Amino acid sequence: MSSVRKGRLFRASKAKPLDALLVAGIVLVAVVSAFPLIWMVLSSFKTPAESMQVPPVWIPGSVNFQAYGEVADVINAGRSFWNSAVIATTTTLGILITSLMAGYAFAKYRFKGRDLLFAAVIATMFLPPIVTLIPLYRLVGSIGLNASLAGVIVPNLANAFGVFLMRQFIAGVPDDLIDAARVDGASELRIVFTVVAPAVVPAIAALALFAFVYHWNTYLWPLTVLQGQVDNYPIVLSLSRLLSYNRGAMNTGLVMAGATMAVLPPLVMFLLLQRFFVDSIVSSGVKG
Amino acid sequence: MLAPAVSLVGVFIFLPMLLTIWLSFQAWSTQTGFGSARFVGLQNYTDLLSQLSVGRDFRQAFWNTAFYTGLSVIVILPLSVALGLMVYQTRVAGGHVLRTILFSTYMVPMIAVALVWSKLYSPNEGPLNQILGWFGFDRQLWLSSPDTALASIVLLNVWQQVGYFTVLVIAGLTQIPTSLYEAARIDGANPVQSFFGVTLPLLRRTLLFSAVIAVINAVQVFEPVALITQGGPANSTNVLTYYIRRVGIERAQGGLGSAMAVMLMLALIVVIVALFAFARRGDDDK
Repeated sequence: MSSVRKGRLFRASKAKPLDALLVAGIVLVAVVSAFPLIWMVLSSFKTPAESMQVPPVWIPGSVNFQAYGEVADVINAGRSFWNSAVIATTTTLGILITSLMAGYAFAKYRFKGRDLLFAAVIATMFLPPIVTLIPLYRLVGSIGLNASLAGVIVPNLANAFGVFLMRQFIAGVPDDLIDAARVDGASELRIVFTVVAPAVVPAIAALALFAFVYHWNTYLWPLTVLQGQVDNYPIVLSLSRLLSYNRGAMNTGLVMAGATMAVLPPLVMFLLLQRFFVDSIVSSGVKG
Repeated sequence: MLAPAVSLVGVFIFLPMLLTIWLSFQAWSTQTGFGSARFVGLQNYTDLLSQLSVGRDFRQAFWNTAFYTGLSVIVILPLSVALGLMVYQTRVAGGHVLRTILFSTYMVPMIAVALVWSKLYSPNEGPLNQILGWFGFDRQLWLSSPDTALASIVLLNVWQQVGYFTVLVIAGLTQIPTSLYEAARIDGANPVQSFFGVTLPLLRRTLLFSAVIAVINAVQVFEPVALITQGGPANSTNVLTYYIRRVGIERAQGGLGSAMAVMLMLALIVVIVALFAFARRGDDDK
């Protein structure tokens, strides 16, 4: 990034009051943005009495983990986390494999109808899932996958975004590298996973993170396909059961503790690897 | 090489999409096989446009979704440009940290967002009314009033999504050559003039992309409605994703639900084509 040149440019017109306004704006936006999450964590430590006070208590009197224990009792949190991990990890692996292969073919092969096929695949990126939900529900049921984790996972093992992202990055891998491997007698599959993949590691990392977070968080499809089979609920579905456990302000601590637990895995993953997220948006979003 | 991805997308996206269109002309219970579908012509569509309660509810859900989508886009786009400039500038420190905070909210599962905001909005025990009170504003009913419920869901949606669109804008800003700002300055343009003369026109493609994504995301609103408001109060938050699922899956009226899904798809195509046409007109003006 050209931050040095850019800095000098923006600094050309000196105006101190503007700087103060800018700082105030940044602080305000940061506070407004972080506030709901801070409130969530603080509320998870409140006693039921504190949650029901009017006007609301901001800082709980003590850090009390009672609500977390209660979450574990009400929804079998361990099982829910395991289900979420299985769904998100398996789906992500599937997406990585299918996207690498298809991205390679679209980037490096020449065949009749290639661009049309690519356009057709990409078009599905703009299709909201609700449009296909009803027949998909029936289709997955008819192959016997309803109410199972496999039913949640299998329809999502490939997606347009992954194919698109991989094609963009693999197009930049030199043909010489691939031809050299072919001369050495490597099979095409071997080339994809041992020659091409190592050359696009940042894109793979970005796609893995996007896919994991998306499939950790997604709600509509698991809710529909699992048909109330609570043993197979991922954590986001189990959270909804907390709300009905105890209506009104009584359950606030419980709900907030559950929400905090569900938010942590994707959030921590993002904070550790945010560079890849941002880079991939920059390269896939706009240049494409 | 293409077989895994193309066959999965074909079977689990294209085939269901074609089935949705086919089913929209059938009477079909979602609990039975596709073979039991019976052709009824345009019956499902005329039902949706009729005075039957399913027709009235569908039209309400359609316009609620349109309102929700329109308001989301109108708020998110300008806000993402303002926030993008805040992050991108280097006059004062903090841009980088701000970007991290803004994008963090995009990682939060919508279900958790809905739960947390339902507590923030709580008219008595929630902090938002308390904060409004400090500034002398009246207490609001937020999700409990038909007048404000849908806008309240827009607000939580904006909170969750704006960080993503801010990063898109930042990506767009990095593509603008510094020499253009240099030239504008030499021509005597002040920062406001160079924003409208250089920044905004060159962000047009980014903003078009943002608008399309924002529309597609907005029509998917589901969790806050399913979990918190159940479409109420007084049908004011009944939106299409919620209502299509309710009719097509829960009530098992698969044909009717599919007709609604086709209407949604057609409406989306119209909106997206209009957005592209609007952006292209801007290109021709240059």
